[in-house]
Amino acid sequence: MLGEFEYLLITAAVRLEENAYGAAIRDEIEATTGRRCSMGALYTTIDRLEAKGLLKTRMGEATPQRGGRAKRMVRVTSTGVHAAKGFYDAVTRVSRGVSWVENRIGNAS
Amino acid sequence: MNGIAWVLVELASRLLEHDEREAVLGDLLESNESAGQGLLDVFGLVLRRQAGLWRDFRPWLAGFVVALPSSYLLTYVSVSVSCTYQRLVNHRVYDKWWPTGQEGFSLLLCHIFLLIAWSWASGYVVGSLSRRTVWVSAALSLFPSVIFCFPAYPLESLSKLCLFLFLLPAILGARQGMRNTRISLRSASLLALTVTVLMISAWSSKALWISNWALILPAWYLVATAWPSGQKGRTASPMHLA
Repeated sequence: MLGEFEYLLITAAVRLEENAYGAAIRDEIEATTGRRCSMGALYTTIDRLEAKGLLKTRMGEATPQRGGRAKRMVRVTSTGVHAAKGFYDAVTRVSRGVSWVENRIGNAS
Repeated sequence: MNGIAWVLVELASRLLEHDEREAVLGDLLESNESAGQGLLDVFGLVLRRQAGLWRDFRPWLAGFVVALPSSYLLTYVSVSVSCTYQRLVNHRVYDKWWPTGQEGFSLLLCHIFLLIAWSWASGYVVGSLSRRTVWVSAALSLFPSVIFCFPAYPLESLSKLCLFLFLLPAILGARQGMRNTRISLRSASLLALTVTVLMISAWSSKALWISNWALILPAWYLVATAWPSGQKGRTASPMHLA
């Protein structure tokens, strides 16, 4: 099963679609979670997920905004999507009936 | 990010692989990170990468099983060869730094060949086992010379550079190992057999320390890896990428 950060990374990459690369994924994770995401965590996790076959990477185009340096583009594989869905389903199942979920939907005891 | 800070970040990023360096530096520029944060990010990634390499057994094998003990033995062989040369050519006698003190020119040549072959083979093994942690193995191979030999170096009239005669062939071997240069089975066997025959010859003349027999292992390791079934494993194995 995926780890929490792995799930966040895959979800951010899927949301960004064709525009998924290091800096964009990092911004997406930081904006969503409100936590800082280090380069070390980001790139080592990308490598780990790629080794597991959950995503694929390739070197993309360079832009002047990046000082002419290439992006590392990320694409989530179908196995990655399946793994992320499995994580989400597990979190949803295990969260059923717990107080904060009940409070959220207005059924506090 | 100002100029000097960016230079520091670029220097630190040289510890990363080329593609990763490109992506990380581009990301930092795009995110307009501060210099300090950029440095922390790059060092953090470098540390994670290096730590990841040491999860494998090969860097440990290369550094602590091959580089460290081999360099310890080769340091003594280097001094021994220098002492024999000084005795034969300049008639200077240094006590205790060669097996018998009776070696002639033929045994001196034999020792010189063995020193080069042992050093080259050890360097090759270290380089091929773990090229991305080779700097640790390099530091470990200087450790015996610097820590043990310099403070207790008893031969004032002999240059301390004599401790490092093994370094050049070892560096050449490590470079070839890091480039994953393929050694044919024939060449590897020839080297290993020559080394073995010369060691037996020197041993029978009582001109070899017993501990030097450990130095035969890298030469035979080359034979094992050059074996046809071993070559298939080499191309498929990630060991040369570690």
